[in-house]
Amino acid sequence: MATVPVTLEVLQMLEQVPANECGALVRQRTDGTMAGALLVEHGRVCWAMSDRYPRRLTDLLVAESDTLTREQINEVFALCRRDRVPLGETLVARGLVSLPVLHRVLFRHTCEALDCLLREDSELWTWVEHSGYGYHPMLTFSTAELLTGIHALEHPTIAARALATLGAALGPEQRGFAIQRTRDARLPLAQIGCEDLDLVEFADLATQANDVMTTASTVAIEVVVAMIGERACASWVEDDLLFLILCDGELAFNRLLAQVATLTRRP
Amino acid sequence: MTAATTAPVMAGVDGAAMPSLAEIADHVPRCLLAAWVEPRTATVLEQHVVHGDPRVALALDVTTEVMRSSERPPRMVLLSADHVLIVQRAAHDPQRALVVICARSANLGFAVALVRMFADARVT
Repeated sequence: MATVPVTLEVLQMLEQVPANECGALVRQRTDGTMAGALLVEHGRVCWAMSDRYPRRLTDLLVAESDTLTREQINEVFALCRRDRVPLGETLVARGLVSLPVLHRVLFRHTCEALDCLLREDSELWTWVEHSGYGYHPMLTFSTAELLTGIHALEHPTIAARALATLGAALGPEQRGFAIQRTRDARLPLAQIGCEDLDLVEFADLATQANDVMTTASTVAIEVVVAMIGERACASWVEDDLLFLILCDGELAFNRLLAQVATLTRRP
Repeated sequence: MTAATTAPVMAGVDGAAMPSLAEIADHVPRCLLAAWVEPRTATVLEQHVVHGDPRVALALDVTTEVMRSSERPPRMVLLSADHVLIVQRAAHDPQRALVVICARSANLGFAVALVRMFADARVT
């Protein structure tokens, strides 16, 4: 697993790529060889590659699908290469794989490859601009998604529990995320609907909620609802996980309060 | 039960007298304590204690500390199984926040709305 500061460093660098540009963040070793790269389109990552990452997208797709064969993928791949069109979209357009499955597989591939790439010793990153493909937004990933995905790779069981708890807690038009509280760091492990939060917002919300819960827990406070900026935010802790629900809108605070009050109501 | 009040010197809200902490405590269901605090320094400016439970005094300390350490959100409700801690920054004086601590009841939304209304009242 790449260290947290390195992960943050790269993701922060990604966020500094101009929003409208497309290109690759290439990582070079000190001997001049290329360790891998991230393909970026309009601030979102479309693909990660690392020469240390052993899995191929084909392997993951075949493993996820009952009917898809390597031959079918290879055929579509050759076609896409010839016509310079994206592979994923073409697989979906031909009905060979569903969009949610492709999203899941691409996300896993991107997180795992990025994790390998971040473990390289080199600090050399180069931005190489090129024209974009125009990927489907669902098949590209924000920094918040990648940060969460990379940490979830290291803690899959806790991440699955966090995601299930979050999914059960969220109401309509709400979004949220879960943070694992360790002694040295706060690692995002699950998120629903928070793809577009930038890393600074993500970190600020987590820090504020964590500070409040740490202090408030001394008098057995279980849930806190607060206005943070323009949004209402509810937070609570279960074991070593900190959960946040975010809610926007005029009546967000009252709706959120009514919702979370049931979490602590005595029978 | 104890009742220790320091009367705030405040004038009208749109012509009506702004309630004192004692009056606020009377209006908010199951109120145990009402206080004006200065969030930046976590200083309690004045308070009205309805119930002398040491847990309530501790809750006030923690509430002011939370306000001081968390970039002072303008509105906050902290829920435990027994208590509700309501914090609302004064609309016309950001250096003051109204803190009301109540026992848990079904009227949570009403209590929060009342505290907001009192904190939003204009001091003239």
